[in-house]
Amino acid sequence: MIDVKDLLRELREEPYEKIVIRAPHSGRVEFVVQEPGTKVAGASGTWKETSGTLLARLEREQNKKPLFAPQKGEIMSFAGIQSGQFVQAGQELMTIRHFLTREEVIDRILRRSLSLFPAPEKGKYYFFPDVDIKIKTKGSQTVHVEDGMELFILSRMKRETSVRYSGPAGIIYAVYFETNDSVDRNSPLIGVCPESELGKIQEVISRVQSDWEERD
Amino acid sequence: MDIEKRIQELRDRLKYIQDIFGADENTNVTMLDAKLGEYLLREPGLTEQEAVRQLETLEELFRFLEKKLERELTPMNRVRIVRHPQRICLKDILENVYDNYTEIGGQDDYSIDPSMLIARAYITRRRGKKIHHQAVMVIGQEKGHGQEFRNGGSVKPWGNAKALHYMKVAETENIPIHTYIFTPGSYPIEDYPGAAQQIAKNLYEMAGLKVPIVAVISEGGSGGAEAIGLADTRIMMSHGYYSVISPEGAAAIEGRLRGGQRAEPRLIERCAEQLKITADDNRAMGFVDWKINEPPLGARPEHYDFFRKLRKSVIASTDEIVLGVSGMRLFRSLALKRHKGADVYVRWSLNARAKERLLWTRYMKYRRMAQSAYLDKRHWFSRGSESIGEFVTSLYSYFRYDLFGKQHKKVTELAEDMHAEMQVVVGRSTRYWKGLMSKLSFGKGKKEVDTAGLTSLSAWDEAAQNNGKWQYVSPQAKKDRSVTCPNAPVHGCLDQWAPDLFGEWAGVCSFCGHHFPMEYQWYLHNIFDPGSIYEVFSEIESVNPLKFDGFDLKLDEAKRKTGHKCGCMTFEARIEGTSVMVAMFMGAFRGGSVGAAEGEKFIRAMERARKKQLPFLSYVHGTAGIRIQEGVNGVIQMPRCTMAVRRYTEAGGLYLVLYDTNSYAGPVASFLGCSPYQFAVRSANIGFAGPGVIKETTGMDIPPNYHNAFQALSRGHIQGIWDRREIRSNLVQSLQTMGGRNLYYR
Amino acid sequence: MKKSSEVHRHTILIANRGEIAIRIMQACQKLGLAFVALFTEPDKHSEHCVLARRLGGEKSLFRVSSYLDANEIFAVADESGATAIHPGYGFFAEDYRFAKRVTQRERKLVFIGPSWQVIRELGDKINTKRLARKLGVPTVPGSDKPVTDDLEAEAIAKSLFDFQQEQGVNDPVILVKASAGGGGMGIEEVSDMDKFRAVLRRIKNYAKRQFRDEGVLIEQRIFDFNHLEVQILADRTGQNPVHFGTRNCSVQSLGRQKRIEVAPGFDPTSLRYAFDARKVLEDITEYSLRMAREAGYDNVGTWEWIVSPTGHPFLMEVNTRIQVENGVSARIASIKGKGGVDLIAEQIRVGLGAPLGYSQNEIVLNGVGLEYRIIAEDPDNKFAPWVGRITSFSWPELPWLTMHTQVPTDREYEIPTDFDPNLALAIIWGKDLAEVKARGVEFLNTLSLAGENASGEALKSNIEFLKRKTETVLVF
Repeated sequence: MIDVKDLLRELREEPYEKIVIRAPHSGRVEFVVQEPGTKVAGASGTWKETSGTLLARLEREQNKKPLFAPQKGEIMSFAGIQSGQFVQAGQELMTIRHFLTREEVIDRILRRSLSLFPAPEKGKYYFFPDVDIKIKTKGSQTVHVEDGMELFILSRMKRETSVRYSGPAGIIYAVYFETNDSVDRNSPLIGVCPESELGKIQEVISRVQSDWEERD
Repeated sequence: MDIEKRIQELRDRLKYIQDIFGADENTNVTMLDAKLGEYLLREPGLTEQEAVRQLETLEELFRFLEKKLERELTPMNRVRIVRHPQRICLKDILENVYDNYTEIGGQDDYSIDPSMLIARAYITRRRGKKIHHQAVMVIGQEKGHGQEFRNGGSVKPWGNAKALHYMKVAETENIPIHTYIFTPGSYPIEDYPGAAQQIAKNLYEMAGLKVPIVAVISEGGSGGAEAIGLADTRIMMSHGYYSVISPEGAAAIEGRLRGGQRAEPRLIERCAEQLKITADDNRAMGFVDWKINEPPLGARPEHYDFFRKLRKSVIASTDEIVLGVSGMRLFRSLALKRHKGADVYVRWSLNARAKERLLWTRYMKYRRMAQSAYLDKRHWFSRGSESIGEFVTSLYSYFRYDLFGKQHKKVTELAEDMHAEMQVVVGRSTRYWKGLMSKLSFGKGKKEVDTAGLTSLSAWDEAAQNNGKWQYVSPQAKKDRSVTCPNAPVHGCLDQWAPDLFGEWAGVCSFCGHHFPMEYQWYLHNIFDPGSIYEVFSEIESVNPLKFDGFDLKLDEAKRKTGHKCGCMTFEARIEGTSVMVAMFMGAFRGGSVGAAEGEKFIRAMERARKKQLPFLSYVHGTAGIRIQEGVNGVIQMPRCTMAVRRYTEAGGLYLVLYDTNSYAGPVASFLGCSPYQFAVRSANIGFAGPGVIKETTGMDIPPNYHNAFQALSRGHIQGIWDRREIRSNLVQSLQTMGGRNLYYR
Repeated sequence: MKKSSEVHRHTILIANRGEIAIRIMQACQKLGLAFVALFTEPDKHSEHCVLARRLGGEKSLFRVSSYLDANEIFAVADESGATAIHPGYGFFAEDYRFAKRVTQRERKLVFIGPSWQVIRELGDKINTKRLARKLGVPTVPGSDKPVTDDLEAEAIAKSLFDFQQEQGVNDPVILVKASAGGGGMGIEEVSDMDKFRAVLRRIKNYAKRQFRDEGVLIEQRIFDFNHLEVQILADRTGQNPVHFGTRNCSVQSLGRQKRIEVAPGFDPTSLRYAFDARKVLEDITEYSLRMAREAGYDNVGTWEWIVSPTGHPFLMEVNTRIQVENGVSARIASIKGKGGVDLIAEQIRVGLGAPLGYSQNEIVLNGVGLEYRIIAEDPDNKFAPWVGRITSFSWPELPWLTMHTQVPTDREYEIPTDFDPNLALAIIWGKDLAEVKARGVEFLNTLSLAGENASGEALKSNIEFLKRKTETVLVF
């Protein structure tokens, strides 16, 4: 089992995450937020229906599209691009310093304490239909997995193959991929927790809930 | 001891006055406050006799100033009166107006909806030695003197459904209905049966309810009021209000406020005045039949005189309705006319013929309303010739469909039966003969293979295929630019080129199927047969009947921008050769709001469709609701138009509704929502109140797709969703499957 | 018609990747034209990027979010000053809307391919079939328009069965397909009339749901056919199409993907056919030219044919683009006595408006060309694609061999998963069929291709499959 104290100390030393804002596509950029240090907000509302702070606009083919801040934080730095300049897809525009929330801290700790099952190949992953239904209706934590169990369908190059789970038996505590997104090789698909250790995980979570102070 | 009680009473009266007059400076209120204060300071030092004497003077002053304040009441003060917890409520009326009653389906908050109260009540009348017990179904909103669970009389959809249920029960029992309207408006949620759709159902059913209905209005807030307000006689309490929207709501719209901002009190006050919401205003405009006077500053539970007056009124109204439609009535109705309170006995049940007369009288009553709230500029001659033309058409259709049509139908049915009978007999023998013939190979013995048909060019009418070529191309398709689909973050739709998107694809995202709004012209030219549109009643024009501030300018602007005189275009057109009558509500004209002109055009179109026996389509390009600047002239279109729909469908008409873009509020809650066949163009939103209003009135956060067509379909509010590019073929299909062979007749 | 010299002022934007992007770059270089290339993040190490940097420098290379987003292409075109767009094959090559936008947007560009009207006309299978029938060009027996009426459909189905019986087909089968469909969706085979009614209803419902159009096509299903192609080229006048002979693409994977192409389409000199093969080749060439003339065809294109075992050709479809296998036809051709024909360069040249400059009799075809598509896949397991890293890839330099590949030979290479699985195209020439087959096998024997995937399994390829199939090419 993991040492929560150490992990928390480590996270406290750098309690933020750098988010690099890149041009989602080619076009001419026009910055709305100009100053480093500007506080920005992420999408909010029950359904994330209110967009985050407008950072810049990107115009392509007479179509100006807004670029919103994905998370709460402050602008750390700009990448030296001037308003009106043409940028290529994926070009770095600015970096946001995002202070970790409790959920994110919990997620990070979980990723280190759960037994992760990585994607054996790059491709799109789906759960087996019966597992999928169970997850959708009752949540992933009702699904018990065991070594050698057929758990995923891997879809790549228009072909589907089944993937067996290997690792300790337990429940699926967290799901780390989205249907229809391509998953890179070795990035985690699920985090599994043996039933016997559920209590400890709960303890970690309540520990973070009480100990971690969120910053703006 | 007695003094203490009387002082307390004065304190209460002062508090009430202060509530009514709110924050406004009023010298009379200040004076009462000061005098009472002075008296309270003096009182301990006074002899009892002196205290009583001074108290009497003070009470006199209260009475005097209350009368004075009564004359100064502004519309907004009246709004505060009807909303005051001390205002009489339906329970008080049941206790004091009726002789006996049983509440149906509710015990305080144990009720499907405690804000809607149903009671079976009795009125006992003594005529000579005879005692008559007359049963009434009492239906109304219960504010319950501020009881939290009553929701202020804001009824949920299922509350209105309950009301409708018991109206139908009253109809079966052949007893009159008394409705009492105490509502600021309906609770704007979409859960089944849905605020708008249920009100529409209520209106549609009430239009044909074969028992007398008397409505008494205290607080008549828009759609909620209409849900039980379509009555033969409408009485209004002198301190009540009856309005298309709450003054606060109107102010929020006028002031263009968003996201729960509060409107200026002054603006609210002005809106309340301009909307003409008082009993006198409504009496003058003919929306209520009479006014019943309340004590100064409004009726409260202790005003027993008022209840007596109310009792007389509702009894007399019911009598009058019944006498107005039944055969044996002469002396009694004369007596009633001469003397309102005349004590005559009238049996309240109706016979079959009286029921028919009742419905016709009711229809005509509403048909005649709001006639001065629109402009009909045509020359008297053309109006006359139109009515002659209509007469000729109706004469024609009488002969064509009723006289000959019915005979013809009988003959055809007989012939069909005969034919079917014959087939059974003959069929057997022909089969035998056919078999014999083929055995003897008299016919073409060897089948010939149509080789040419399989390998050479066939004839094909390519013109019949549209292949992405549309009759009308949106001006949006003329710009060289790309467009982002609002669903791009979810569905990953790529930007599309405007000429493709708004041209060939008819404004439908080729990735997710999202429908971008298109101009109404697109529909005019791409749904109906080319050149088949024949506009009617185009002269009817929207005006500013209430002289609402600045509204003339806005109207002129809308007329200039759209080239139409009102927001509803009525026309006859053909779809694959089938003629249909269409009322189109245009979002571009004042948000597609419905006022007196739009309503009148709709009704005339309905009447025309009935006479010419045409199917009817309401195409709602968009409507924001009832036009608030026309006040009750607008809201009265809800019952008026719904009654026209009822009359049309009862005659056998096929009424289809197609919603596009956004359709909300009054129109959906009446003449649109009452159609059994409502469809929506994909990506349309349909509902009662917009998200902002819901948030404000219910405090609920609603998801962004709350009013989406698919949600409306899941809730059972609409019957299908159509792709824009298929509207034409879907309409043809609907006309064939819902309209049947003759499209009009059942 | 533009002079050849005006052509040189153009900058070509290459809206594609991989092998075809490389060949377009090479063709541009040959023609002295500047170019702009695109790439996406996962492709940043791809060979076409390496070549673009080498030939055009860093400024000729733009990163885009997707090859499939037309707006990216236009944004880059405007920024880079490109004046023409070459779509390659796949992606936007046969998208008439894209071609139309290229020429109708405010800043107009040249589309290197047929004009959009031609793409639209010949991109529609029904239209093509009707054009063919109008010109007396044979097409697969059956309907040539969407059938919506059930009775009509039954009548067609019935006469198709009868027709086949008359032709001596033992077990006649017909195909019912949604007329708006494509890519194998909404197609079913039927072998008797009773089943037909049920299938018809099913396909109609499917088509109505899927394409909002319940029209169906009913055609004869032809078995054991050979797949032939005619390579056509014409300039912007649309008046003078020429052909570059025929190809046989009958060696295919299970999913009907081509694996070996041979030019010419049959070899009557060394093989015996049950029909007059020479005449079939002449006929389909003539038919293809006839249609190209009628349609005003104005760039490079391929007419695809199926030839039944009885030697009846039927037009299948027209590909209004350069094809993967264009090189095998070019390999056996010479123009005005000069070999080394580059059809892509020709396509660009005439696409930019230059006149064709030669006539049919100045094109001479000589010898036999053989093209292998080398793919990492498992032919024994339904041609399942193999994904992983290529560690070594090499082949001997040979005078009769041309290799086209985007796989680098000097370093390891991760096979991208999102695109076409071709690793390389090998084109081999021989003076006759026997020689080209021998050289083909020699090449495959000396080719070295190795790699491994995440689980350490060795690369699987179709080399053995190709070797086996070489034995019987053009045999029919």
